[in-house]
Amino acid sequence: MSFSVSLRDVTLKYGDTEALSDVTLTLEAGKIHGLLGRNGAGKTTLLSLLAAFRKPTAGEVLVDGRPVWENVDVVSRVALIREGGDFDDTDTVESTIETGELRPSFDLDYALKLAERFEVPLDKKVNQLSRGKRSMLAAICGLAARAELTMFDEVHLGMDAPTRDAFYKELLAEYMDRPHTVILSTHLIDEVANYLEEVVIVDKGRVLRHDDVEAFQSMGATFTGPADAVDALAAGLEVLAEQRLGGTKSVTVASRLDAARRERAAAAGVEIGPVGLQDLFIHLTNPDRTGA
Amino acid sequence: MPKAHTLATRRHKLGTALLTESVKYFAGWILAVIVLAVAVPLIVSQWRSIDISAWYVAANIGKYLVAIIAGGYVYTLLPILVAQGMTRREIATSMGIFALLWSAFIGALAIAGFLGEHALYGALDWRQAPQQGEEFDLVIGSFAHALEFAAIYPLAYLLYCTAGMLIGAAIYRSDGGWLVLLPVVPITLAVDDALSRADAWGPAWLVRFVSGVVEGWGVWSAVAAAVVVIAIGAWATRHLILNSPIRAKQA
Repeated sequence: MSFSVSLRDVTLKYGDTEALSDVTLTLEAGKIHGLLGRNGAGKTTLLSLLAAFRKPTAGEVLVDGRPVWENVDVVSRVALIREGGDFDDTDTVESTIETGELRPSFDLDYALKLAERFEVPLDKKVNQLSRGKRSMLAAICGLAARAELTMFDEVHLGMDAPTRDAFYKELLAEYMDRPHTVILSTHLIDEVANYLEEVVIVDKGRVLRHDDVEAFQSMGATFTGPADAVDALAAGLEVLAEQRLGGTKSVTVASRLDAARRERAAAAGVEIGPVGLQDLFIHLTNPDRTGA
Repeated sequence: MPKAHTLATRRHKLGTALLTESVKYFAGWILAVIVLAVAVPLIVSQWRSIDISAWYVAANIGKYLVAIIAGGYVYTLLPILVAQGMTRREIATSMGIFALLWSAFIGALAIAGFLGEHALYGALDWRQAPQQGEEFDLVIGSFAHALEFAAIYPLAYLLYCTAGMLIGAAIYRSDGGWLVLLPVVPITLAVDDALSRADAWGPAWLVRFVSGVVEGWGVWSAVAAAVVVIAIGAWATRHLILNSPIRAKQA
């Protein structure tokens, strides 16, 4: 069973500051969702509401159709893994992992296997771990929680590239083995883009856009080919990014392409590819942009 | 921590697990205190006669340590346990169970210590005096007297445990939470003073504010006051835990 997520007219204030403003959002169960946003956009706040870390100032937060706040049947099957994890730093890694057994679904054997695989030493204290190992410990606890809604909030910070890659693959394997709802909050957009099914972009405390990945990718295109032909094709379109290598150029545009332009591209020997999620994200959250 | 098989019982299991883990963690400290309480008078006796109870000092320092440990547990464990999918109600219940068990355990240890010390002092012909005051010396003259004197310690530890948890919860709840110290510390010291047959114990600059406040209270009045203060403290702590947002992590 996977948990769906629903926020209805949710506002959360820190003092006079609105971290989330009137957010309404529904996330389908059994999917991997990406939660994207600039620093301070409200991603962590949104996740903290879903895990009952905080209570909204106004509105309703439902997980699996039920209020999440103080609901033991729900929160015991929801896991929010924050950057660096929520640990007692003076505990050993082994003891920290064993604390996960407070969850009925926690898989201790799996956690210990992952600790061995990712070389997180069980006998060391948490405060003796490097940042990367600590992040991995947090990720292990999240994976082994076997929750119905698992949220990773920038959990990859400090991990090196091979470890991040192995973590994403393990996350995907666990997801395929046991379908559940996953929310990944990250700034490393291109790294996770291939794993995501739906994307939510949060900006200034509001949901800017929520759609499946294909819909995002069809919002623009990348032209690759001879520089002159690419420039001619991109003329008049909103350019998000450019790259040039010798006579070959790649331009990302934030516009849907009509049939005529596609035909012109084919005739000029220019390849059309999907727009990169990161380029699109930068474009959509650009403060100078209007009419988002 | 043992595997919680059902959600219905995990708060109870956590409460008892906190006790067993605490006993294991502090076993060395407890042993060191026992050894010191015996060794120091033995060493001092080489130069002078012993006419003060070392265990009284240890048992009273223990009150402060109980409060600090209890406050530390609430402050540290609240975010960890919420992150492990526990509700705040479960956490409050677990902490309540731990407070009762931990106070009973340390209290039983204190009582056993007073009785053991009475046997030791009796054998060596020393005087077991918790207090050598300006007005009167309080000397424990028999095992029955030692038991009577020490019997309030479990309740006193529960009082300090509750105070510590209230302070820990308040400081976690908000940055200005330390202000709760202003009412909690004097009330705790005053009620402890009422419970004890000796004068108020602690740093002079602190206890002078409460000395004499509860003078003349009978034992049962003091016990009733302690129970009321503990109940109010427990209620306030629970209220704070139930309404505490988990703090954002520092970058």
